Amino acid sequence: MAELTQFIITGLAVGMVYALIALGFTLIWKSTGVANLALGQLVLLCSWFTYSMMHQLHLSIWLAFPAVVLFALVVGWVIERFALRPLIGQPILSLIAVTLGLGYFISGMVSFIWPQSIAALPQIFPKNPVHIGGAVISQEYVWAAGISLLVFTLLSLFYKYHRMGIAMRATADDQMAVQACGIPVTRIFSMSWMFACVVAAVGGILISSIGGISNGLVETGLKTFSVVILGGLDSFGGSMIAGPIIGLAKSLGTGYLTPYLWPEFGEVIPYIIIVFVIIFKPFGLFGEKRIERI
Amino acid sequence: MSSLPCGTRNYSYAEDMAIFRTKTQWALLIGLLILLMIGPLFVGNFWLNKINLIGITLIAATGLNILVGYCGQLSIGQVGFIAVGAYTSTILTSKLGLPFPVSFVCSGLMAGIIGLMFAIPSVRVKGFYLAIASIAAQFIIVWVISKWTGLTGGSNGMLVPDASIGGLVFNTQKSFYYLIIGVAVVCIFLAKNLARTRVGRAFIAIRDNDLAAEVMGINLFYYKMLAFFIGCFMAGIAGSLLAHWSVSISPDNFSFSESILYVGIIIIGGLGTTLGPILGVVLIRLMQVGVTQATPWLQSTLPGMPNGFATGITPMLFGLIIVLFLIFEPRGLAHRWNLFKASYRLWPFSY
Amino acid sequence: MKRKLSLLVLLLTLVSMIALMVGCSSTANIAGKELKLGAIMPVTGPAAEKGKPGIDALLDVIEYINKEKGGAGGYQIKLDWKDSAYNAANVNTIVTDYTNSGVLMFAAMSSFEMTNAKGIANKAGLPGLAVFTAASLYNPPEHIYGQMPEYGDDWVAFANYYMQNIWKGSGKPKMALHLLNNTTGSSVKDVAKAKAEAMGIDIVDIEEHAATTISESDSLTRIKAANPDVIFISSTPQPTSIILKNAKDLGLTSKTVTIGLAHASFTKALIDLAGADVVEGVYGVFPTVTWDDKAPGIAKAKEYLMKNHPGDAGNMDYLSLWCTGLVSAEILKNAVQAVGYDVLAKGDATAWKAVEEQGFQKLNYNVGGIQGAVSYTAGDNRLAKTVKLYTIKSGAITAIGDWVTAR
Repeated sequence: MAELTQFIITGLAVGMVYALIALGFTLIWKSTGVANLALGQLVLLCSWFTYSMMHQLHLSIWLAFPAVVLFALVVGWVIERFALRPLIGQPILSLIAVTLGLGYFISGMVSFIWPQSIAALPQIFPKNPVHIGGAVISQEYVWAAGISLLVFTLLSLFYKYHRMGIAMRATADDQMAVQACGIPVTRIFSMSWMFACVVAAVGGILISSIGGISNGLVETGLKTFSVVILGGLDSFGGSMIAGPIIGLAKSLGTGYLTPYLWPEFGEVIPYIIIVFVIIFKPFGLFGEKRIERI
Repeated sequence: MSSLPCGTRNYSYAEDMAIFRTKTQWALLIGLLILLMIGPLFVGNFWLNKINLIGITLIAATGLNILVGYCGQLSIGQVGFIAVGAYTSTILTSKLGLPFPVSFVCSGLMAGIIGLMFAIPSVRVKGFYLAIASIAAQFIIVWVISKWTGLTGGSNGMLVPDASIGGLVFNTQKSFYYLIIGVAVVCIFLAKNLARTRVGRAFIAIRDNDLAAEVMGINLFYYKMLAFFIGCFMAGIAGSLLAHWSVSISPDNFSFSESILYVGIIIIGGLGTTLGPILGVVLIRLMQVGVTQATPWLQSTLPGMPNGFATGITPMLFGLIIVLFLIFEPRGLAHRWNLFKASYRLWPFSY
Repeated sequence: MKRKLSLLVLLLTLVSMIALMVGCSSTANIAGKELKLGAIMPVTGPAAEKGKPGIDALLDVIEYINKEKGGAGGYQIKLDWKDSAYNAANVNTIVTDYTNSGVLMFAAMSSFEMTNAKGIANKAGLPGLAVFTAASLYNPPEHIYGQMPEYGDDWVAFANYYMQNIWKGSGKPKMALHLLNNTTGSSVKDVAKAKAEAMGIDIVDIEEHAATTISESDSLTRIKAANPDVIFISSTPQPTSIILKNAKDLGLTSKTVTIGLAHASFTKALIDLAGADVVEGVYGVFPTVTWDDKAPGIAKAKEYLMKNHPGDAGNMDYLSLWCTGLVSAEILKNAVQAVGYDVLAKGDATAWKAVEEQGFQKLNYNVGGIQGAVSYTAGDNRLAKTVKLYTIKSGAITAIGDWVTAR
């Protein structure tokens, strides 16, 4: 019984961390329709910047965090302005391929500026673990889960009530119509990239406080694609629910199925789930159904 | 001067439909084929090696282009199917002792069949949702390969026997060149012609609007499955060649980032054209050669630079060139080539 | 439009020019009287944290050998290194280039790279030196040699030490393994499965993890349920730090169980990542000495480190690759003294055979005491056979005893 709670708590917490990174992906998809393949590299870049702020300039997290957010905003703006805006109106696949190129560029930049390639963030969260029921878990995971819930709530409220958020949703729905209404589409694109970078930065800080900063973060970023698609590409709520589902599947799969199958079965369970989900629910669990007309 | 088809008159439908319509085109084709035949005489092993890799990549990219570029089914798992082909061929030749031609065909079929399994969702979903099925394929296939140690050797990898057809053994870069380029030419020729048949037109109809295609009586399920089968078949035979060419294989050869790169290659080259994958593959693979060669060279020629300079600058340039190419030519290099051809034909009387 | 086009064409030509120019320059024949040494290093990509200090060390040690020791047997060594970016296709093309560009032998840093390079190298007969090795690389022994003992040897050394010095209970100790999902882990798994029974150890659980894991609480819960006396981890620093942190939360610390690490993860980076309190008392196996050892060869390494790459201070991978340079130079020296420069200058199969038979197989060198002495015994391509055991004491890697024979 104690094991089961441990598996559940671990799965939920890890899933929430994935969900946070996935939010950054959904954000861009929701308002621009672009799949951001450079997500992992953005997470890496922001983590390294945090490292510079905290370790090399010795700022406390309260000073470093605003600096990182500012940095992320600038990065987002630059990417949108110089790499994506020239391509507005072009085939969507070209925009996706641009983010692929951006990924290489950013990872090159990271190894240029931070040649040490691996580092630990200074301790941000208290060290002693939390006991929930019979289960134990590090504070880092709990904080990460909490913060990803917070980010999720903020984003949902913003999209639901704020003028800009509504405009973003409208843009995703029909760019032409929105432009005709006088809403500056370019600004909306710019904003969504800036927001997405901030979310990536927050995710980066949390994930690298768990396992340090290294190039492995890029692959962790890629792995969150599974979360995104399971939840539905354009749904924040979807990501938030799909994350824990995948986390749970992973930890329960590792916990109870490993003896009967090959080791590391937990790693592929999410993908098996995904294949079945898209057979039965083609738009993910919470994705918006599109009514198609000829 | 009617060297290229501009102002040429055709007197029969066959003439109009031919790929090579003028004598100059035929001459160019024959010239190119001869060049490909005698190429190895002038090129050292260094470049032959790169050309072979380009050829293998090209076969898989051509398959992916049929799937993504013509039929519009986004797949980010091509490398997974290459892995299936590579391991099928290796296991058949090393464990069962089958001759290479048989294992070559089997590896294509095997990849195609496994591709069909993951293609089933394509009936219901499209766009990026479909991509995830292929991502899942990539991860599940590589996982099975790395854990099924009894059959595949797990992460230790496998040694691949020499490929041979009859008494002809392929064990040098030069002999592989003829094998790989031969297969690549056949694949490109098939792809070019496929696009012009009933099947190809059905693919394009599905890509442009699958609902409309269905209403017109195109069997969506059949054609989508067919596209997956062809795309994965080509990945499979590319995998077979890759395995025999690289002598040893391990699950690490087949990473997800390589799969993403394949999608990048065909987009940069130009989706839905035969020329696109060729240009994309040549560009990306040559750039990778440049990066590999330039890093140590930079380090030794510019020793005063900061620590991460040489290792960081090359991936940065690699990414920057991809971005710039797409910004200046979002429809792919093949599109630019067509524009260039058109303006050449009309020159000096451009409208 | 015109400007766009011209820019595009310009870019294209630029790229191809660079590729061509650099490519051709590297195919050029050996200029002057040099011995060409290849090296495949993961300088960028997911293993950059090991490849970057690695190449720093290799460049430094070759500079040292060429400038201060007058090269190998009087001939300068030319290092022809390439960045593999930890990509199998890159490794393939690099090693194929080595087989026809006058390279006499090559080193590959990670077992990943050598796994992908060994096929082509063995077929051509090009001798290779694997720095971090796995048993599968030279099993059966061909033209690939291991500079260091492999990860399975780490397990044997640790298990021996454990049985002799730590295990005080009765019956068989229960051991759990937590392994990375590549050759780093599988080497240990193969050896442990084969030898545990004879050594009187009961393997109760084997878990595997991916390099990109962010939590291993689930697999550790399974390990905890098996109630092991000792846990052995063979992985890289980052996943190891996560495993150790999660294990601590679950109450599996070095106070309650014995924890041993294979050498891929047992570095300073691990202490930084996991925190000194988490790794306190953890045992590790490593094939070289640490930086504050008194071994005679250390002083030069320190001098060059401080002169050229002070940022790598304290890095263990730097030391390992420093040894790679020394061992390679020794091999080339033996070969060139035995058969003369003219045979080697050809850089073809006869030269490789000479390097292998007169260089690798005649090795008897103590590598300045930095790593275990290297020598060759027929049928066993591991050159060094000894490792050292360490434990982490108040945040510092501290040696326990002298070199021990791995197996």
